[in-house]
Amino acid sequence: MNRSSDLLLDCQGLTRHFGGLVALDGLDLQVREGEILGLIGPNGSGKTTMFNVVTGIYGAHGGRVEFDGNDLTNATAQQVYRSGIVRTFQRSRMCLELSVFDNIMVGNHRRLNHGLWFNLFKRGAFADQYKKNYAEAHELIEIFDPPLAERLDFPVDTFPMIDRRRIEICRALISHPKLLLLDEPSAGMTHDETMQLMDDILTVRKRLSGLTIIIIEHEMGVIERITDHCVVLNFGRKICEGTFKKVSTDSNVQEAYLGVE
Amino acid sequence: MDIGFLGQYVVNGLMLGMMYSLVAVGFTLFFGVLDIIKFSHGDVLMVGAFAGLTTFFGLEAIGIESAWIQLVTIVVVSCVLTGILGSMIGKYLVLPLKSAPALNTLLITLMAGTVLRECIRLFFPDGSNPKPFPSLLPSESYSWGNFTLRLDSLMLLIFGTLVIVAISLLINKTKLGLAIRAVAQDGETAKIMGINFTLVVIVTFAIGSGVAAIAGIMNGLYYNEINFDMGLLLGVIGFSAAIVGGLGNIYGAILGGFLFAGLQTFGAVALPFASAYKDVFAFAVIIMIMAWRPTGLIAERTSERV
Amino acid sequence: MSNKIASPSLPISLAVIALGTAFAILFLGAENEYLIGSLLVFVTLAVVASSKFNILNRMYATFAVHEVLMQAAIVVATLLLVAWFYDDHFSLLMITAAMVYAIAAIGLNIQFGYAGVLNFAGAAFLGIGCYTSAVLGQYTNLPSMLILCLGGLVAAVIGTILILPVLRTSGHYAALVTIAFSILFKTFLEVNDVLGGPQGLNVKPTVLFGWNFNTNIEIRDEFEASFYLCYALLALFLLALAFIFTRRLERSWIGLSMDSIRLDETASACYGLNIALWKSVAFTFGNFLIGVAGAMYGQMLGYVAPSNFTFGDSLILVSIVLLGGIGNPWGVITAASIVILLPEKFQIIQEYRFLLYGIVVIFILLYRPKGLLPRQLRNYLPGGMKA
Repeated sequence: MNRSSDLLLDCQGLTRHFGGLVALDGLDLQVREGEILGLIGPNGSGKTTMFNVVTGIYGAHGGRVEFDGNDLTNATAQQVYRSGIVRTFQRSRMCLELSVFDNIMVGNHRRLNHGLWFNLFKRGAFADQYKKNYAEAHELIEIFDPPLAERLDFPVDTFPMIDRRRIEICRALISHPKLLLLDEPSAGMTHDETMQLMDDILTVRKRLSGLTIIIIEHEMGVIERITDHCVVLNFGRKICEGTFKKVSTDSNVQEAYLGVE
Repeated sequence: MDIGFLGQYVVNGLMLGMMYSLVAVGFTLFFGVLDIIKFSHGDVLMVGAFAGLTTFFGLEAIGIESAWIQLVTIVVVSCVLTGILGSMIGKYLVLPLKSAPALNTLLITLMAGTVLRECIRLFFPDGSNPKPFPSLLPSESYSWGNFTLRLDSLMLLIFGTLVIVAISLLINKTKLGLAIRAVAQDGETAKIMGINFTLVVIVTFAIGSGVAAIAGIMNGLYYNEINFDMGLLLGVIGFSAAIVGGLGNIYGAILGGFLFAGLQTFGAVALPFASAYKDVFAFAVIIMIMAWRPTGLIAERTSERV
Repeated sequence: MSNKIASPSLPISLAVIALGTAFAILFLGAENEYLIGSLLVFVTLAVVASSKFNILNRMYATFAVHEVLMQAAIVVATLLLVAWFYDDHFSLLMITAAMVYAIAAIGLNIQFGYAGVLNFAGAAFLGIGCYTSAVLGQYTNLPSMLILCLGGLVAAVIGTILILPVLRTSGHYAALVTIAFSILFKTFLEVNDVLGGPQGLNVKPTVLFGWNFNTNIEIRDEFEASFYLCYALLALFLLALAFIFTRRLERSWIGLSMDSIRLDETASACYGLNIALWKSVAFTFGNFLIGVAGAMYGQMLGYVAPSNFTFGDSLILVSIVLLGGIGNPWGVITAASIVILLPEKFQIIQEYRFLLYGIVVIFILLYRPKGLLPRQLRNYLPGGMKA
């Protein structure tokens, strides 16, 4: 099977340890452009570590990361973002005391002019850029939840978890990334809220053609519903790969989850 | 340079190092259990020294003249008093701010220190002037050439060492120490395992503050003088020592304490034309060490979950 | 960031500013301790009463709508205050000192109110500004205004020595770096001879367009104004510049980046923010403002000595920012006025001022951790303009 033509993310032999603990053990992982990949596995199997290594929070102790034809091995978090990879966090990391708009604009960093002269003295041009981005943020969040879009100027800590997740995903999407990494978006939400959020994500994805997603999720209903392809990790290694149907019936996977010897 | 002269510097440096280490141990204990810096620590030390002085006056007034009884009473009374003071600061100022930004805790304890300092200055009789501290230790000394070893210095050094050994035994070998280490490792889990978190924190604050009182009395006995603002510099130095060693690690604190004293002594010896610059030198080196090892020489365990 | 809904009211807000000015005039003019005491009781009651009627939030709302007008009103009020005391050395000195401290505290606010860079060496940078204007005034013939800028510049440049350790460390470790510098700086001034040792140096007065600020203003024989009048106007001018600067900084993508870095470094890094860059920028801008304030303060006082720049003074600067409301320049200005004027005016408490600062800050931290005037959500565009 020749997939190299449309490969977006290509990780080869990714390794990372913490002291004596091997969190990632020579992981190979390929993601094709436009697909939704589910990353599953028991707790501590290295899923979030994989995100952290790819996004440059942790350095890799071995292996390569190639994204969209560029080498991103041991790139800084800033370089990873600029090349078009964004993520959300398991424990939603928002600036709670800032407004919804502010939080979304943090994600828009690479498209905003940060020049000192522009920001301090060209206030007219700044106002134009501000208005343009305000409209854009409004438009994006409206896809998720129209009432939320009318409350862009409220601090994030006044919103419930589902809205915070929506805001967090908008923060990730506002800069038109190529790859979105979702780290357990259902954490802290009810089943129905999760399903609603997944519908939103699918809607947005239709609008932003070509968005590729890797999602870490424990709720198998979510994985079954939205992923094209799944990779199962255990002890930092890939133990199975394929459609959800295939991996869910795989004996290795059942062993990993149930601990059957 | 003359060997005897150098020996004098070494003894003086060891003495300073001992005091700094005792202060630094307190900082590191507080940081261990709560991840906070209790900046009033230096002023608690000063209160300890003044409590000792007051006890001395009290004992004199009721006619107890024996230096040993006086000494033991002074140490016990001022340790207990500062222990109570430290745990009250912990309970009423530090614990309520547990979930606030670290800056707030730093500030509230800095201000608590200012309040203590000002209270002594304003309300202790003639508190704004240095107070003579009685010399209660034997004043014999032994001389070898230029080198003079005072018996009281030797006793203070031995006593300080014993205190440090006692603290490390307490932390490593007792049930209380186990509880303190459990809270330091992971407060939430320790709570679930049935450890009384608040109590452990308060007891730790009491222990650390008691040790500071000992450092304060040592300071008084060594220099025969105490001052309302002695705690400020000692506190900052103790803090530097704890940080340079690596917060949360008792051995780091001791290492840092002696390192700082070593730097000051070295500054005084090596810059004979400008020995007044010894503190400038010591603090400059501290800043450089921080640039080189941002989390101290014995690095703090960091585990940020993402 | 308070967001209680309150309706704007221009008349009420202007009335509050007018009352505040009248109160300041009465307070600064009062000679008798009992009068001052009763004025303080009165103002405390007034503040409590106004919170009943949600006045503070209504003022916030008014500011959001009529921003330019409100700012102009406050400048006019300050000018009135200065004009009222035109021949009173002491009152003008106090007003000017409060404004100088406000400039320095605004600088500090950029550092830890926005970017979260702790600086416990504020007084040291103030001192660097002061000493720069002393040395340059003595050895060169540079114009005073240039010396003010250079005071800021030297403070910013010396600050860069600390940038590496400040950036590499975080939290308590970073606090140590500036604390150590603060003590190092004061000790250094005391022991070296070139800069005058403990006695310090004399500073030449400000000269602008050939006018020496240290001469009283006399028009024939009828009118004579204190020489502090010029300094007060200069300080007001500099404060206005500092205010506009910090406001524009806050209301820009840079201000947003700084806030984001303060609140969550890891998430900020994942969105491409250059943490080291913005922290350095905030630290340098802050030190520049503190240095300018120091240079001006030195020229006004006419001398500079190490005892004015202790670690305790740095703590006072930090308390000003905290008391006023971290991140809110209006809060910082209010707090600077309270912290500087109150003990000078209320002599009974002069002796107890450090004790009282300590107690007040402890209470603020325990019961109103966001300060007297909490920071509001960011308005990118000046009042009233909506996207």
